[in-house]
This record gives sequence, C-alpha cells and structure tokens, in this order.
Amino acid sequence: MNLLYATLGLIALYIYVSFASLLWEGIDRKLVARMQRRVGPPLLQPFYDFLKLMSKESIIPKHANKFYELAPVLALAVSIALLAYTPMGFAPLFATKGDVIVFIYLLTLIGFIRVLGAISSGSPYAQIGAQREMIILVSREVPMMLALFTILWRLNNIGVEKPFSLATFYQRNIWELGTPLALIGTFILLVVFLAWLASEIEVGFFDIPEAETEVAEGPMAEYSGRHLALFELSNAIKMFVSASLVVAIFFPWGISAYVGLNGIPALVVDVLFHTIKVFAVLFVSMSIFRAITGRLRITQAVQVFWLRLFPAAIIGSLILAIDLLGVIA
Amino acid sequence: MKIPPTLSTVLSNLFKKPATNMFPKTEPVPTPEGFRGKLVYDVDKCIGCKLCVTVCPAGVIEFVPEIKKVTFWLGRCVFCAQCVDVCPVNALEMSKEFLLATYDKYDDNLRWLKNEEIEEMIEAQKSK
Ligand code: SF4
Ligand code: SF4
Repeated sequence: MNLLYATLGLIALYIYVSFASLLWEGIDRKLVARMQRRVGPPLLQPFYDFLKLMSKESIIPKHANKFYELAPVLALAVSIALLAYTPMGFAPLFATKGDVIVFIYLLTLIGFIRVLGAISSGSPYAQIGAQREMIILVSREVPMMLALFTILWRLNNIGVEKPFSLATFYQRNIWELGTPLALIGTFILLVVFLAWLASEIEVGFFDIPEAETEVAEGPMAEYSGRHLALFELSNAIKMFVSASLVVAIFFPWGISAYVGLNGIPALVVDVLFHTIKVFAVLFVSMSIFRAITGRLRITQAVQVFWLRLFPAAIIGSLILAIDLLGVIA
Repeated sequence: MKIPPTLSTVLSNLFKKPATNMFPKTEPVPTPEGFRGKLVYDVDKCIGCKLCVTVCPAGVIEFVPEIKKVTFWLGRCVFCAQCVDVCPVNALEMSKEFLLATYDKYDDNLRWLKNEEIEEMIEAQKSK
C-alpha cells in the first residue's frame, strides 16, 4: 500500500472511529440509564454535547501556561496517530514488525498529555486529578504489557510473518493453541484485559482521576469550550482503540471470509463486524461495570493492580509458557 | 473478588420499562388532595378585614384602604396557606396550579389587583 492510500485510509478511519465512538457513548449512556430505570438521553447526545462545547467560549485561566492550550490538540493528534496502528478488523495500516511498542507508547502518551495539560492549568483540583491519573497510569500498564507480550510471543512461536506486530492476530489467534492449559491461561488473561480496559477508559472502580463528585472533574477541572471538546473526542477515540485491542487479541475472527467477500466490501464488512464486537466488549467492561460498581480509593486501586491483576497476568503468562515448553502433558 | 449483588438487579432492569414520567410529553404527576398551589383571590367576596395581611409570614399581601381590598404579589409567597385558613369569608383559596415559572418577576400571573384595576375601582367608587 503506498503512502497516499495509507493517508486516505487514516482519514477515513478517523472519521469513522470518531463517529462510532461517540455513537457508542450515546448507546452506553442509554443502556446505563435503562439499567437504572431511567429513559436516558437520545442516542446522538454525545454529538450534541460535542457541537455545544465547540461553539462555547473557551476560558483560559490566568495561571495557565502555554501547554494548557497545546495539550488538547496534542491529545487528539496522538489518538489519530494511534488509529494507524490499531487493528480494526483488518491489519493496522502501518503494521510492521514490533509495532506493538508504538501502540503501547501512543496509548500511554494520551494519558500523559492529559496529565501535562492538567498540571499546566494551575488549578489545585486539576493537580490532584493529575497525580491520581499518573498513579493509575503507571500501575495499569504493567499487567497489560505482560499479558500482551506473552500472547504475542506465544503467537510468534506458532509462526507468523511479522512478529510482535498487532497484525499477527489476524493470522493466528490465541484460541488456536487448543490445549486445555492454553485455554486456562487465555481466560485468565482475558479477565486481566477486561479489567485493564475498564481502567484505561476510567469507569467503575477506576473512575478515580475524573471523580466528578469528589475532586470536581480532576484533570479536566479547568478545561472548557473547544479545548474540552477536543479532549472528549480524543478520550472517545482512545476508548474505541483500547477496546479494539482487546477484541483483536481475543476475538479476531472476521466474517467476510465466510460470506465470500473480498476487496473493499470485505474491508467494510469486517470493520462493521469489528465495531459490533467492540461494542459488545465495551458493554461488559464499561456499561455493566459502570452501573454495578462505585469508585475505589486511589490506594485500593493501586492494590487491585499490583496485588490482583499483576499476579493474575503473571500466572496466565506462566501457564502459557508452561504450555509451550510442554513440561506438563 | 465476589460478584456485586447489584448485577442481577441491573440486568433485569434492562428489560423493564423506565419508571419515568416524561413530563412535557405527558401530564405531570397528579397533585394530591389538599395540595397548596397558586393562591387565588376572589375580589368580590373580600370584606377588607386585613386578617390575611396580619398573618402572612412573607409580606405578600398589602391592604389598599381606598377600596378596602387587598393586593398581592405571589413572587414572595411561601405557600403556607395561613391566609386561606384565617380569611373569614373564604375569599382566598389555594389552587392546584404549580407551573408558575416566568421570565419576569412582576408577571401578571403572579399579581392580583394590578394598579389599573385598583384605579378603576377607585373611579367606580367615586362615581357611585
Ligand atoms: S400562603 Fe402564606 S405566604 Fe402565601 S400569601 Fe398566604 S399567608 Fe402569605
Ligand atoms: S382575610 Fe380574606 S376578607 Fe380579610 S382582607 Fe384578607 S382576603 Fe379579604
């Protein structure tokens, strides 16, 4: 694929994902409302919110520094760049050997830019939110990275073209291993990933940095107008991308091969099917989790990551490794 | 980690109808018996005894000596119904009306006996 097509693809992907992720936010709000026996906002509410924020006056605090205005733009830019490396039902646009590192780096960078923007705003509320976000940030990526690298390494061992690329999930997937031990390990890692997804998009237990009832929106306390709109959009895209990762690892099957399509229609069908799978994963990890759990304290959340998820990731990885070495059975 | 007990409730709620009254599209929740809504004043019944002026805790009611009636501005009313209880001729009554929002605090809906009406009544008395 030459550079021009890749650029067009990225633009198309960006438009599609912005639409799909905002639509999911509408669906999520509707579902959570129904879980609490409310009617909820209309499905397109996030679009109205976005347009309203875009048309509002953006207030820059007196104590904010230059980075305050730059951060939302950077966050959105990074999330758009991230789309080029995200598996969307087909191999990522710029998939190469080892692109998983770029993916993790960009995904973490969005959180880091949020923190920088919050610190630049000069508000103590935003500072507290930023500290919490930072603590969560360093805790949540460890179990995820361990699990992700283990799975990629394991797939590498059964033979793929581009090792440690997110494109490998569409050649071989983790369920193909088939042995009971591998299945157990994969299930453990699936749980780890669902918990990671919830913490990445900060819902349920992990709604700690935003914590609107406690530290007044945390990192976003000072943002308004266009700047807030850009942050909201980049958050929505990040949510879609994180869920895409989980879908690509655990449920990579496309349907275009079964209905006998190829070329452009196959791509479209696969993207749509992928979107449905993303919505299903987000339903479990976001809507239900958000509706049935409250927030943890920041100390408890750190404990969940290091004492529950991290050991679970280690155990899952060890099981997968033992399965490969063939020590048992 | 055990499964939170709310899970089953939440999932079964998903298949129930929302327990909401969609107000502007439907009628509001019916008011109960003895509901204290907007105060209604019957000018013809009033004998000008000033009891309501004495008893009102919010200073809503003002006596107009020329015509021996009262005039009031409901912007300050606290809906205690003391004036209704004390009025000897039942010239005051609480209605069921509660949608009283306006753009103007001196809205006609919130006042009884406007200045013109008072002047008219004074004229009428003179001509008698
Ligand atoms: S209801 Fe209470 S506050 Fe209102 S006019 Fe009567 S006495 Fe005053
Ligand atoms: S108590 Fe009744 S009759 Fe007496 S002044 Fe008030 S409204 Fe008129």
